[in-house]
Amino acid sequence: MSGTSITGEATEETLPAVVAGAHAAGAARRSQNRKPRTPIWAVVVLAVSVVYFLLPLYATAVFGFSTGKAFTLQPLFDGLGDDGFHSALILSLTYSIVTTVLALVVVAPTAYLVELRFPRLRATVEFLTILPFVIPPIILAVGLSSVYGINSPVNLISSDWAPVLLYGGYFVLTLPFVFRAIDNALRAVDVRTLSEAAESLGANPTRTFLQVIVPSISLGLVSGALLAFTTAMGEFTLAALLGYPTFPVYLLNVNEYSPHVGKALVLVSFLITWAGVIALAAVARRTPGTRVVRGGPM
Amino acid sequence: MSRLELVNVCKSFGDQPAVSDFNLTVENGELVSFLGPSGCGKTTTLRITAGFEAPDSGAVIVDGIDVTDLTPNKRGMGMVFQGYALFPNMTAAENVEFGLAVRKRAPAERRARVAELLELFGLSHVAGSYPHHMSGGQQQRVALARAVAIEPGVLLLDEPLSAVDAKVREELRTEIRRMVTQLGITTILVTHDQSEALSISDRVVVMNRGAIEEVGTPGQIYAEPRSAFTAGFIGAMNEIPVRVVSGAQGVVERAGRRVTVQGAAGLADGEPALLLVRPELIEPLNAANGTLNGDLTLTGRVEVQTFLGATTRLLVREVRQGDENQSVLPSARRLAVDVPSAAAGNWPAGSEVAVRIPVGSSRVIADRSAVSPAPSTGPAAPPA
Repeated sequence: MSGTSITGEATEETLPAVVAGAHAAGAARRSQNRKPRTPIWAVVVLAVSVVYFLLPLYATAVFGFSTGKAFTLQPLFDGLGDDGFHSALILSLTYSIVTTVLALVVVAPTAYLVELRFPRLRATVEFLTILPFVIPPIILAVGLSSVYGINSPVNLISSDWAPVLLYGGYFVLTLPFVFRAIDNALRAVDVRTLSEAAESLGANPTRTFLQVIVPSISLGLVSGALLAFTTAMGEFTLAALLGYPTFPVYLLNVNEYSPHVGKALVLVSFLITWAGVIALAAVARRTPGTRVVRGGPM
Repeated sequence: MSRLELVNVCKSFGDQPAVSDFNLTVENGELVSFLGPSGCGKTTTLRITAGFEAPDSGAVIVDGIDVTDLTPNKRGMGMVFQGYALFPNMTAAENVEFGLAVRKRAPAERRARVAELLELFGLSHVAGSYPHHMSGGQQQRVALARAVAIEPGVLLLDEPLSAVDAKVREELRTEIRRMVTQLGITTILVTHDQSEALSISDRVVVMNRGAIEEVGTPGQIYAEPRSAFTAGFIGAMNEIPVRVVSGAQGVVERAGRRVTVQGAAGLADGEPALLLVRPELIEPLNAANGTLNGDLTLTGRVEVQTFLGATTRLLVREVRQGDENQSVLPSARRLAVDVPSAAAGNWPAGSEVAVRIPVGSSRVIADRSAVSPAPSTGPAAPPA
C-alpha cells in the first residue's frame, strides 16, 4: 500500500504548507516594521520545515520526470493521455463537487438554526460533527458495505443508487471541517440581531438566511467548501473499499504498473489542488462585508 | 402611524419575572420612552411589542387589531437595534432599500424613496459605503433610515444612542425628535439615560423591576415624581424625612417645624414620609431673602463643590443646633444645593452656608422603606 501515502500527501501537504507560508509572510512583514533580530531557532525551524515539505515534492518530480537518468516530460504526457486518467479525474471532480454542495446546503442552514433557535443543542451538534474524526474511514467503509452491501436487504451497492453511498460517506467525512468553518463564521457575526433586523423589515426566515446571513458568512462558506472539496478529492479508503475508481484509486493503480507516470500525475494533482486553494482564497479576499458591524470609530 | 396598546402584558424567564402586568396606550404619533435601570424589563417589553418575545399573557394591539400572535415580519413595525445591526454585505443605500425590496415595491419607486431618506438623514454622500467604512453616527442614521423606510406603524428604538459618543448622541437625539414629529410615527424609545428620555419624549414610562413605576410627561416626571424610585432615578433629588401631621391639610413636621406641602393628601397622619426637593430649588440665604416664609432652613458647612457647567453643586453637611430632633437632616445625609457657577466662589469648601428649602413648591411622598435610602446626589444633571 505504498501508493496510499503518495496519494494522501497530495492533499495533506497543502495545509501545513499554507501555514508555513503564512508564518514566513508574517515574519517578513514584521521585519519591515521594527527590524527585530530573527532568532536563530526560528530560522532553523523554518529551514527544517521547508526541507521536510519540499524534499518529497522534489524527489517525486525528479522521479516523475525521468525514465532512467535523463529529464523527460514523457511520463507526464503518457499519464495525461491515458483514458483512465480522464475518467478517474472526472469521477473524482463530480464526487467532490456534489459532496461540497451537499455539505454546504445541509450544514449552513443547520448551523444557522442551531445558533438562532436551538443554542442549547449546539454542544450536541458539535459532538456529532466531530465523530468522523474519532471513527476511522475504514470502519465507515466496512459499516456501509455490510448495511448496504450485496448480502443486505437494502442492496444499494449493486443498484443505480450506488453513488449515493459514496456521497453519504464523503458528506460524513467532510462534516467536521464544514461545520467548524461555518459555525465559526456564524459566531463572528451577530446572527441573532441581524436576523431580527431582517425580520423586522418584513423578511421571512428563508429570505433572511439567503440575503443577509449567507453573504455575511461567505468567508466561512468558502473555507468550508475548500475543505470539503479537498477532503473528497483526496479520499482513498472509502472509494477503494467500496469499489469506486476515483482519482486517488487510479493513481495507486498507475503507480504500481508505471511508477514514473504515477509520480508525474501526483504532481499534477498537487498543482490542481493548489490552484483550487489559491482561486478560492482570491475569491474570499474580494468578498465585501466580511467584517462584523459594531460601533465603529467616529 | 398607529395607536399601540399593551394590555396586561406579563413575561417571566424561568422563575424570574421580567415584565409584570404592563398596561400602556401610545397614541398616534406619540413618542414614549421606557426609562429604567438595566434589568427593569424595558427591553423585554419592547421585544414583546416587536414580536421577538412572546408574552406569557396579555396582548399587543395595534389600531385595535390584536397582533400578539403575529410573527415580527408581519407586524409592520420598524426597529432600531442597540448595535445598529446593519447588514454588513450591503451598502447604506442597499440597507435602506432592503425592506422596500421585501415589500416588492417597483425599482424606480424604491430608488426614489431611498434617495429621499438618505437626504433626510444627511447620508447621501455615504450611499455607496459599506457599514464598516462608516462612523458610528452614520451607521445609526442608516439604521434609522432603514427602519423608517418601510413606513412602519410603530417605530421601536432599543437604546439607539448608547453606542455613539456624547456629542453625536445629542445631535441624533434632536434628529430623532425632529424625524418623529415630521413623519408622525408612533415611537417607543428604550433608554437608561434619563436626560435622553426627558429631552425628546412626549411621555416617559419609568420602569422598575418589570413594572411601571410611573407614567407622565417629562415635566411631571421631573417636577412631581410620585415615588422615591422615580425621584431618585430622574436627576438629583434631596429626600428629607418628615412626619405627616395632617395629610388632609398637607402639613408635615421636621425639626420641630410644621410646614405645608403638596402631595400629602393620600398620606395617613403620623406616618413617616419623604419631602423631595430638587437641588436647584434650594437657595443660599442672604440679607435679601432672609425671611422664612414658612420654609425649612438649614445651616451647614460646604463639604464638596462639584462643577456641573452652568451650575455648581454644593454638598452641605448640617451643623447641628441642639439634638437630633432639632436638625433638618439625619446625621448621615448631605444636602445637595445647586448655585449658579458664577456665584459659587461665595461658598468654597469648608465655608458656612445657610439655605432655605422651599417646601411650598416641593412634594412629599410616603416613605415606603423602613430605613430611608441615602439621598440621591449622583452626577446626573437636570436636562438641558
